Amino acid sequence: MAINPHYHHTSDQLNEELIIIEAAKQNPERFAPLYNKYYKQIFNYLYQRMEDKDTAFDLTGQVFLKALTNLNNYQFKGVPFASWLYRIAYNEMMQMFRTLKDKRAVNADIGDLRFICEENEEPFFEEYIPVIKQLILELNSDDLHMVEMRFFEKRPFKEIAEILDITEVNAKVRMYRIIEKLKKSLSKLKM
Amino acid sequence: MTPKFNIDRPKISEEEINQHKDFNQLVKQFKQQSVQKARQDKSWWKSKKVRYSSVIAGITVVCTISYFALFNKTQNQNTNDKIVTQKQETGNKTQEARRFVLPPSKKLAIPYSSYKINNSKGGEINHNTASKIKIPKNSFVDKNGKDVIGDVTIEYREFHDKGDIIASGIPMAYDSAGKKSNLESAGMFDIQGTQNGEPVFIKEGNNLNVELASASSEDRFNQYYLDTLEKNWKYLKHDKIIATASKPKSVNKENHNQHDNNSKILKLKEEIEVIIPKKIDSVKVVYTKRAETLPKAKEPSKPSKPTGRPTFVLDANKSEYPELAAFDNVIFEIGEENRNYNKSFNDITWNDVKVSEGPDKGRNYLLTLVLRNRIEKLIVYPVLTGSDFEKAQKKYQQKFGEYQALVVKREADEKKLLAEMEAKQQAYMAQLKQKQAEYEKARINAEVRNINDLNTAFNSMSNQERATRLFSISKFGIYNSDCARGVANGKNVSPVFITGENEKPLMPDVIYMIDHTANTVYSFGRNDLAGKIKYDPNSGNSFVVFSGSKMYLCNKESFKQTTDKEGYKFSVTALPDNSENLPDFKKALEI
Repeated sequence: MAINPHYHHTSDQLNEELIIIEAAKQNPERFAPLYNKYYKQIFNYLYQRMEDKDTAFDLTGQVFLKALTNLNNYQFKGVPFASWLYRIAYNEMMQMFRTLKDKRAVNADIGDLRFICEENEEPFFEEYIPVIKQLILELNSDDLHMVEMRFFEKRPFKEIAEILDITEVNAKVRMYRIIEKLKKSLSKLKM
Repeated sequence: MTPKFNIDRPKISEEEINQHKDFNQLVKQFKQQSVQKARQDKSWWKSKKVRYSSVIAGITVVCTISYFALFNKTQNQNTNDKIVTQKQETGNKTQEARRFVLPPSKKLAIPYSSYKINNSKGGEINHNTASKIKIPKNSFVDKNGKDVIGDVTIEYREFHDKGDIIASGIPMAYDSAGKKSNLESAGMFDIQGTQNGEPVFIKEGNNLNVELASASSEDRFNQYYLDTLEKNWKYLKHDKIIATASKPKSVNKENHNQHDNNSKILKLKEEIEVIIPKKIDSVKVVYTKRAETLPKAKEPSKPSKPTGRPTFVLDANKSEYPELAAFDNVIFEIGEENRNYNKSFNDITWNDVKVSEGPDKGRNYLLTLVLRNRIEKLIVYPVLTGSDFEKAQKKYQQKFGEYQALVVKREADEKKLLAEMEAKQQAYMAQLKQKQAEYEKARINAEVRNINDLNTAFNSMSNQERATRLFSISKFGIYNSDCARGVANGKNVSPVFITGENEKPLMPDVIYMIDHTANTVYSFGRNDLAGKIKYDPNSGNSFVVFSGSKMYLCNKESFKQTTDKEGYKFSVTALPDNSENLPDFKKALEI
């Protein structure tokens, strides 16, 4: 599977981020490069999971405010700073969905659905779309989030694990189980 | 609740995302939050160090205050007096400033239009004259320089013609380093901002942009700000003008149609750029997938005869090893690549034999021979001899025939799928072409309609909508797009205003001389009449005199008659009470 290069950083880039983070801990004005670098990514991550763009913009603002407020608690774990932002975004979003369930939406391209079929070694036809959609919507909230990150956003397991605050092995096992579940359901399509 | 599932939802543009990026706002929120948190957090007081430091600081403050109270009483008194004086001066200046802009009649006063703007969002005000006020977010601060939270009331009014200028009470005299002139206006506005009755201020660096609809599209005007404390106009810069008309707000129906047209064009554009290309792509994907699922013909292996290499014949009990039944009568020739093979292998009675697929699938096999702990692996090639070969050859020919038929069928099926795909793609291409034509037509229509609408609107517009003058303002107050004119050249006169047949002299409070050839009004106080007033006999002039609560007019004709005779007594007639509204007043003034 081709991994989205957007989330990959060289060790130099990671070090550069660390320097900015340390500076921003002393002076919030120094946070600007990270804000500018990740604003779009965080917005897209949130907007990908909801219907309303205004809510996504508001929530993006909250995520960065929370990040800045808790910057002293940030610990480097060898992944881009974005992972930490995504985790905040995930928590903020889930908290919102608890009270405002109607805000949740799933957004995918046809290519993403085709990709799911390919990963499950099943052919993809346009006629399958409604069934695949149904299968995805039947997943529980955590599994759906995994599918979105792995299949729709092409994130590496390391980053998924970091966002969900689980181990990489755990992320892989969970993904394997979801694939098995989907495979079982997709195989019924041929009947 | 089941979430909504969107396929291929349009992405938000980078531009729109960037519009919401506001790092300064984030830092501000962070700081506010930190301050609030610090205030709430009282745990610091538990620290002994802090407590002792505070006590010491407290004692120091008490001592300092006592010292100043005892030894600096006199000095303090003086300072207090100074402060009081300054306050009084400020108060007087404000009062003077108010007197400086003094409308001659309350009934003629031009009212403000009031608008609410949320400071955190900013916004755009569309005034009823087609003027616009563009307000960036977080533009207002209070008297302490702190950002205003919530709605701000913007009060706004404009003055365009001579009637407006008189009614406003705004003096048009301009003193530029001792050189006196009068301002000819191309439009003037007064803008104020308050929150709950308290004045607010424009934050430094967050200027408001006022697009003033102007009566004149001439490019000879400058921008001025009325400094009410200095009692003079301050030159700002040369006026920036857009000589095209903006669309009048009243054309709502056309706006609505325009919106429909725009959404139709956008829909067509989306179909052309996103939806149909995706359909074309998906047709190709579907074709590829369906082609992959077509039965694949596998070419049968051609039987071979022995080449003379050492061979193996499997002599196993078929009931014990049923899987080997498939290799009945098959001779396995040892491949050249088996370096571990030696002839002794053929003399050993092996305990177990396994045949599995070889590295060259269909052509060779992997023969695994087991004798207790010894395991030997050999790559072997199946060969047949005599009638077995003949039989296999016949079977091969039959299977090869089937294979060829399948290849032909697959090719035909592929061709059919390809034709289907191409037909679908062509259909989509035709659809694309049609949509492109529709789009182009709609776009041209919209453009033509826009031009027509603009022309219609332009022609139907009053003069004051014919040009837009751009102001970038950093403080509230009165702004003017003006051209300084020398005080009227020509003749001098010391006017006396008389009323009625018995020529009763009038004691004026304020006099306005209107130059009807330009948008200019000269104002004079009672004391100015002692000297001479200059006027241009070639311009159509008239006087408006305010005396007590009454308004009097010496119209153009009467003015001319008097000045032609070199006279100084100007006969004025009182305007009827019903003229005390702005439109009737202007009508009476022949404006």
